[in-house]
Amino acid sequence: MIKILSALIAFCLAAPAFSAPLELASEVFVERVQKRADGSTATVLEAPKLVVPGDQLVFVVRYKNASAQPASKLSVTNPIPRAVAFSGTADGTEIVSVDGGKNWGTLAQLKVPKADGAFRQALPSDVTHVKWNLNQTLAAGSAGKLVFRGVVR
Amino acid sequence: MTSKLKFLVATSTVTAVLMNAGSAHAAGTLVGTDVQNNVTVDFQVGGVNQTAATASNTFDVDRKVIFSVAEAATTGTTSVSPGQQDAVTTFVVTNTTNDTLDFNLTGAQLSGGTAEHGGTDVFDVANLQVFVDANNNGTYEAGTDIATTIDNLAPDASVRVFVIGDIPLTQTNGQVAGVTLTATARNSDGTAITAATDLTANTAGIETIFADSGRDGIETDGDDFTVAAANLSVVKYSRVVSDGVSVTNPKAIPGAVVEYCIAVSNGAGAATATNVNISDNLTTVSGVTFQGSFTPATDGTVVNAGTSTCTPGAGTGSYNAGTDTVSGTLTNIAAGQTRTLVFRVTID
Repeated sequence: MIKILSALIAFCLAAPAFSAPLELASEVFVERVQKRADGSTATVLEAPKLVVPGDQLVFVVRYKNASAQPASKLSVTNPIPRAVAFSGTADGTEIVSVDGGKNWGTLAQLKVPKADGAFRQALPSDVTHVKWNLNQTLAAGSAGKLVFRGVVR
Repeated sequence: MTSKLKFLVATSTVTAVLMNAGSAHAAGTLVGTDVQNNVTVDFQVGGVNQTAATASNTFDVDRKVIFSVAEAATTGTTSVSPGQQDAVTTFVVTNTTNDTLDFNLTGAQLSGGTAEHGGTDVFDVANLQVFVDANNNGTYEAGTDIATTIDNLAPDASVRVFVIGDIPLTQTNGQVAGVTLTATARNSDGTAITAATDLTANTAGIETIFADSGRDGIETDGDDFTVAAANLSVVKYSRVVSDGVSVTNPKAIPGAVVEYCIAVSNGAGAATATNVNISDNLTTVSGVTFQGSFTPATDGTVVNAGTSTCTPGAGTGSYNAGTDTVSGTLTNIAAGQTRTLVFRVTID
């Protein structure tokens, strides 16, 4: 046990950036349409305290490079919770998987097997994973966010 | 080390979640389900792959009470006859809430106004009762279907409910009685539901909202009973068939043969009359004797009401010499149809 411990410590020391990681936060909001007194409506985002099937959700992934060095080749992967039907991202630069993360592509490139063995075009609700491969370098201290939407199944 | 272990655990959790992907209820994700969102970022620093950063977020799914009460197919008014006991109309209660619920049931009658299928409510059924279809076979069975509330209706499940009443004997053809069935959602232990409203502040715990029409946890549908009574009228015709003397236009003289034709008509739009029995006691008709050589005939038609001419039908009636009574049973008489009993007597 002690041996393993020391081995792990050694590994940690060998990876200098491990102690200065990327800060990551996942938030979710419920989108509600509220009626104003004058009859017009406003869309507001609420904390997910009251969430029932059919509610529109907004997932926000915030990331920040807390290290002193630039980070590159950021790849953000977010499996879609099974109780949520994916409905799209804010930026549209994502790739998705409809088979649990085996194959990736834009939604238009993916197909889903039907019961009879034929294939049909994948739909947003088929998405099991969403991934962003960010091609720019994230400078030390800089941050960004990614947004996708879903509906509670 | 702790972080490393955490990361490993997080990875296996993600895999397990994926295995379960798919299968959605129409009622939606069940109440109390944890929805956990995990996100992972892989990145490089100085061209070297770094340990992925992970984050997650979890919320619980609350309870969305939504259900329906609808008349069971095939829809339309329920045709009943006067005096019918346990006339049944059937409803279906469907629970699309993401939780198992109980339902209280209430049957009610309209007092006037337009009934479900357009008729005007003019009478009430007697002994209105509501029962759950215990074996869900769609047929009311007294003694079997005895529950008056719905117990533990699962998400996406539905159950039939019978609304039952007795039709007063005095009701006439075309009269309508409107009834309604109201279901009130209850917790699965039978207690009343306390629901959050738009004015209630959200809490982190599991809450209930009413999402049914009216957002009150109460749903109602109507149906109606329409009386389909037979509307029978009887005419008794007589004509002299022969008098033994005249060649044409026989007269009602002693020894003449007279044909009686009892014509039973059912009114347009009425229910088919069945088991129509006719009996004619000849002791009340003085001066005539039943003619045994002519067998009473049933199910004939009236050829000419003006000349009292009937065509004897193919069926046979009977004559009881002991009571001096002619009788016969007519085949079912549909709306607008006439059937006859024809027999002959001689004038004493």
